[in-house]
Amino acid sequence: MSAELNQAEAKLVECYRSLETVLREHGHQLAPFAHRNSIKALAALWQIMNGLDQDPGQIYDLGA
Amino acid sequence: MNDSPYWNPRHETMPRDELEALQLRKLTNLLEWTDAQVPWHAKRLRDAGVTADSIQSLDDLRRIPFLTREEWMQGQLDQPPYGPILAAPEEAATRYHMTSGTTGRTPIRVLDSLKDWEWIAEMWCYGFWGFGIRPADVVFFAFGYSTFIGFWGAHYACEKMGCLVLPGGAMTTDQRVKQIAEMGATVVCSTPTYALRMAQEAKALGIDLAGSAVQRVILSGEPAGSIPATKELIEELWGAKAGDTAGMTELGTIMMFECDHQPGGAHIIEDHYIEEVIDPETDEPIPYGEMGERVVTSFGRGFIPVIRYRTRDFVVKVPHDRCGCGRTFDIYDGGIRGRVDDMKLVRGTNVYPRAVEAIIREFSEIDEFQIHLYTAEGIRDEIEILVELPGIPADDPESKKILTALSTALAEAHEGLRFGVKEVDIGSLPRFELKAKRVEDERIVIGTEDERRQT
Repeated sequence: MSAELNQAEAKLVECYRSLETVLREHGHQLAPFAHRNSIKALAALWQIMNGLDQDPGQIYDLGA
Repeated sequence: MNDSPYWNPRHETMPRDELEALQLRKLTNLLEWTDAQVPWHAKRLRDAGVTADSIQSLDDLRRIPFLTREEWMQGQLDQPPYGPILAAPEEAATRYHMTSGTTGRTPIRVLDSLKDWEWIAEMWCYGFWGFGIRPADVVFFAFGYSTFIGFWGAHYACEKMGCLVLPGGAMTTDQRVKQIAEMGATVVCSTPTYALRMAQEAKALGIDLAGSAVQRVILSGEPAGSIPATKELIEELWGAKAGDTAGMTELGTIMMFECDHQPGGAHIIEDHYIEEVIDPETDEPIPYGEMGERVVTSFGRGFIPVIRYRTRDFVVKVPHDRCGCGRTFDIYDGGIRGRVDDMKLVRGTNVYPRAVEAIIREFSEIDEFQIHLYTAEGIRDEIEILVELPGIPADDPESKKILTALSTALAEAHEGLRFGVKEVDIGSLPRFELKAKRVEDERIVIGTEDERRQT
């Protein structure tokens, strides 16, 4: 079961996935300010994923 | 959508069958995560024959063993400082908190990551938004910011919602009251006890709280937030709506909140928790409308999985449609009714401090009180209520009338148990900022002669 998303919600889901990928694959290329702010943003976007029933899993390994 | 009365409309109005399907999916995810990350939990689950894929319905939840506070504390003693319960490395944490700590007990220590901390605030957002708080509000926190988790999550929730936050830590009561008035706070967060204390202080300072900008008081930390007489008194003194919330350090945040329809109880945040109500003696489920112990499973904080935790809180669950707000989240009627551990046995009669407070608060002349238990003549349990009656001289016949009426009301509510009621000097009883401790149990013998207090 996964909720049907409207266009705005779908964009946010895409945003989360994109940010997660950046951190997972390219996090080491980011300067501290970019890296830590990305993690903070990911932690906030995770709440949207969770609230939209997207089963975001855990992200402790990324520092969030 | 910003005019929605719900923080998460999709979940808060979800049909019950879909909500239960969501809970089941989250439960299996939680079990998979826990089994993989926490060997201590994994062993307990395996010993009970539970695997994530063996959970086919919410009824299967009952196959999972309870987690008790005693086990949690013992785990911390065996493997200090956090015990064997962490699902992620300590380095991934960004916050440390602990329980307020009752005398002689090991506090529960917890860790949270950035994501968990956002989730903690998210739960408070359900409550604040649901009680009508909006970005334009000015929110004052009458809270001593420390390692006690208290209103920390609420503070972050208000920032997230866009409110102006006034953090009232490390201030005296008169400083807080003055700032609430001067800064035009529209919302005040405090324990019920401290809301009353601030109202007393305002009166002494000549500040008209009822005429101030405060429109809402958010209560937490004590069962009194849902005692009708206490709540009415707070609403009258503040000229504001009072909303109850309840949470616990073990969860990191609240699990229930009162919506602005004020249905006489608090909605359970059921898209993030499963709340069971059981008979504390038999462990069997209790139906709607009957009092039992709440057992919580949380889907939120992945750092410390909480599965079927025995809270020792007494609650009465009623269906969601008791409230007309449109939420499909069930309700704890009357909030937290008390704690299993709070019950005092006095000459064979059960006495619950919350029930005693509910009666005392019917007497508006009483300012502060204390429940005092002691052993008379070396053998007999006695209970007396010490009260402060400001504005009424001790030798005034009105004073005697109030004391007698209170004693009678208490006896009638407790199978005829005799309560002594004594007036004490104004200001002689302790005042509290956080959780009130109004029970002084100095008995040498508790219950039976076999239960002699260690001295």
